[in-house]
Amino acid sequence: MIKSDKTGLVFFPAFDWAITPTHPERQERLLYTRDQIFEEGLMDLPRIREYKPRLATFKDICRTHFCVPGVKDQVTHAHLIAAGGALVIADALMAGEIRNGFALVRPPGHHAMRVVHGNRGFCSINNEAVMVDYLRKKYGLKKIAIIDTDVHHGDGTQDIFYHDPDILVISFHQDGRTLYPGSGFTNEAGGPTAYGRTLNVPLPPGTTDEGIHYVLEKLILPVLDDFKPELVVNSAGQDNHFTDPLANMKVTAQGYARLNEKLKPDIAVLEGGYAIETALPYVNTGIILAMAGMDYSNVVEPDYSPEKFILSREKKEWIEKVVAELTAVWERRDAIDIEVLRAKSEYFQRQKTIFYDTDGINEYQTEKFRLCPECGGYLAISSQAYHYNGIQHNILALSIPFNGCHECREEAYAEYETGIGRKIYDYVYFQDRVSDTYRGYSREKDREWEE
Amino acid sequence: MYCTGYSKKCGTSLLKTVKVNTIEGDNVFIGIDVGGTYTDAVLTDGKSILRKHKTLTGHDNLLPSLLEALDAMIEGQDISLIQRVVLSTTLITNIIAERKYPPVALILVPGPGLNHGEYKYNTLTHIVSGAIDYRGREAVPVGRGEVSRAGEDIVKKGFKHVAVVGKFSGRNNAHEVLIKQILESEKPGLTVEMGHTVSGQLNFPRRIATTLLTCATREAFSGFVKSVIKSLAERGLRAPAFMLKADGGTLPLETALKRPVETIFSGPAASTLGALSLSPKGQTSVVVDIGGTTTDLALILSGEPLLAARGAKVEEFLTHVKSFAVKSIPLGGDSTVVVREGQIRILPERQGPAFCMGGKAPTLTDALVYLRKAEIGDREKAIEIMEKLAGETGRNSRDTAGEIVTMACQTIVSAIEQMFINWEQEPAYRIWEIMQKTKIRPNNIVGIGGAAGGIIPDVARQMNCTAIIPEHAEVANALGAAVAQPTVTISLRVDTERGRFTVAEDGSTGAVPQGRLFREEDAIKLARERLFHLAEELKIKDYVKKTEVVHCEVFNMVREWTTTGKIYDISIQTPRDILFYLGQEETVDD
Repeated sequence: MIKSDKTGLVFFPAFDWAITPTHPERQERLLYTRDQIFEEGLMDLPRIREYKPRLATFKDICRTHFCVPGVKDQVTHAHLIAAGGALVIADALMAGEIRNGFALVRPPGHHAMRVVHGNRGFCSINNEAVMVDYLRKKYGLKKIAIIDTDVHHGDGTQDIFYHDPDILVISFHQDGRTLYPGSGFTNEAGGPTAYGRTLNVPLPPGTTDEGIHYVLEKLILPVLDDFKPELVVNSAGQDNHFTDPLANMKVTAQGYARLNEKLKPDIAVLEGGYAIETALPYVNTGIILAMAGMDYSNVVEPDYSPEKFILSREKKEWIEKVVAELTAVWERRDAIDIEVLRAKSEYFQRQKTIFYDTDGINEYQTEKFRLCPECGGYLAISSQAYHYNGIQHNILALSIPFNGCHECREEAYAEYETGIGRKIYDYVYFQDRVSDTYRGYSREKDREWEE
Repeated sequence: MYCTGYSKKCGTSLLKTVKVNTIEGDNVFIGIDVGGTYTDAVLTDGKSILRKHKTLTGHDNLLPSLLEALDAMIEGQDISLIQRVVLSTTLITNIIAERKYPPVALILVPGPGLNHGEYKYNTLTHIVSGAIDYRGREAVPVGRGEVSRAGEDIVKKGFKHVAVVGKFSGRNNAHEVLIKQILESEKPGLTVEMGHTVSGQLNFPRRIATTLLTCATREAFSGFVKSVIKSLAERGLRAPAFMLKADGGTLPLETALKRPVETIFSGPAASTLGALSLSPKGQTSVVVDIGGTTTDLALILSGEPLLAARGAKVEEFLTHVKSFAVKSIPLGGDSTVVVREGQIRILPERQGPAFCMGGKAPTLTDALVYLRKAEIGDREKAIEIMEKLAGETGRNSRDTAGEIVTMACQTIVSAIEQMFINWEQEPAYRIWEIMQKTKIRPNNIVGIGGAAGGIIPDVARQMNCTAIIPEHAEVANALGAAVAQPTVTISLRVDTERGRFTVAEDGSTGAVPQGRLFREEDAIKLARERLFHLAEELKIKDYVKKTEVVHCEVFNMVREWTTTGKIYDISIQTPRDILFYLGQEETVDD
């Protein structure tokens, strides 16, 4: 790779897209951020290189997601451009044009799971996951770490990589008992073949810069040292900010900037953050400067005063306890003997219920995962979605990992064909990431298609 | 009488002045471009070129060159028919390049954000406390004591000029106004320039640079403009006189005084507008201006010259000056040709004139002359040097010359391709902008400059375009000035929650009704009013007939789940068009 000293930036505020006119995820969200970074002249800095986003293709989406019924039903141009913005940064990084990059895009994505029946937590398409799978397919990258610094649990990203030992997903967030989506506890630590590759750090409301930096230094950085990823992605939400209207944390622009300085992500992708005036202009400026290796010490909110941000002894102890617990999980990450599990059953199964808050959908899922001794093992998901308006979808989805073995591919394909023959499924999908082909079948139309 | 084409002869008057009987009662227009090397002038009636003139520019004083050109246009002409005179000069370019301006001190109010050490402008810089935010709210008041101390220091160090610039001053100019008041009352000798009056567009560092340059060049520019006004009066010329700007618009001489820096880089604007006037209306063309050492490329997209996405770079300064997107490549008629290891290479440098013009080394021009694609200099010399090169390449001299020309074409073709790619890659922040930017390629390649005739047909063939080598190309710059029109643009930001509006172009602000009463149509109406107001201030109101809304965005401001106001971002401008098209018509020939 050619050495570059530049930080790539895709700025896509989607000034013509909103969930609804008054929704937090609306046109106005990045308006003041735009004003701030343009007025600062950040795009002119010799260390910054601005890129124009492009549209991700349907194939890029299908490599990661099962969109029900199809991609065109779940995505708008804005989603394709937001995901495409992350891909532009990924390409620039791999071409050596930049040293790191930040996709400052909306709509966000980290609540979008593998199966997409609708929008949940303001997300339809998981921008980071689409980018990670693109990097693996196009450039052959293997080990990637995603650090989710949004205040909400990155449950979509967790879902997508739960059985993938090559992708480390660490999310720190406000405790799920006090905030959407209500998950992200320490016991959610990855499937049997990827144990410890999902780490969740629930934090008490009111956690300050000191609190998240403790997690970073005592847990995240040491784990990254062990894991040795080829690439680190920051799923960069900004709603831990002390002024965020949807959460209750006490992180500052300085705290976020310093986090990026220490974490040194290769790529950051914007996630949530809804204090559009009091946080976003400052936090984004801070992150950009930190990633560009420039001084960010003067990026301070007007109402910032250090005495407001002292972490109580009680909260500090809570955080220490969580970090200790997760360190133990990490140390046991290779303790599960797959052969012991295989002796009982060749398949691992789990049931999930998923609520789509934005679109009002209840989904019931059964995940069946083959404990394959050769490859990562294929995944069979049967899912029933009940929309608020009475629409129901029952689907079967088969997913082959990037390193899928011959046997898994054959077995999964046979299951796909059997699924087509079974009338209970409205749609059947086959995601073959080895050959990069993505197929679907619609019972209503009695037709197969391919992306 | 017919005017012969381009000549490389270096003398005082390169072209015979063409005199054609003017049709009585017809209006005529004068355009003069005082360029770095040549001064061109044309007299036109909007249908054809009646007179043209080309001389070398006297470098140390531009005025005599300008007046010589002007006199050549009005001699024996009924001056009452002259409708207007448009000037394009390199004055500001020269003043800045040669640093012939007085020192300017800076007082900056950056507030939070980038480290203050980043503001390096090579001059005495005082940073005072104070902050305005993105919506124009005061976050930190100005440190008055700091301003007084800064004024003290600036005067003590012998500065007479100060530029005062605050971050977000376009959204609220109170801090800049206050600092100017303090300085003027405490240090009456100081001339103070405020950032928001120069440009209210976002980008603080560029606003600092543009304000600094405005402050620095104002005196010299004003001296020049006053001499021009005096000279025009002496000749009894009562027609309005204008200056051409980098964005292809014009300003009356008196109002150009307010914005001297905008007249920088008017040369490329002039040549592009000239080429536009000489090519078919409404089409997409590339203007290729092949000079001695460089070739300048400009794009005309569906009849509109492409403006650069960001302000112009002036010497080391990034500014807010809007200019045409011109790409300069190091290739020209005088580019030296060498053979290295049997391979022909065109070097990106000039070692002197062409061999056939008495130079020492072979050049692109020599290859063109050898191939009879240009008629200039001594062809025997061109043959001699091509034969010598052929000895080094091991091929015959015809093939050698052919390859040189092919390489030059290739360089130009790939530069044009790259320019279109760059245009397609310009950042876009809205879905429709990303969806609509489709692949556009030119219809025409318009060639200007001595070597154009020998190269442009090949370039056009490779790009599947029509080659246009217009008659009068040698005075395209002057023609461009003649056809340029006054333009006005307004970028209005209305914040109904605060009940304020601001205009980026002139830094003006005012009140609007708060809340829901102020609708989109009211905002557009306000933008129109502000445009007419600015046009009046710039003394070009008579030229403003139609306006077009370039973009209009409405943001609902939602606080605590209720809509508390709206932000409108509106750009409105006068249509960009030139006065007339001469197309491909022949010159009046007697």
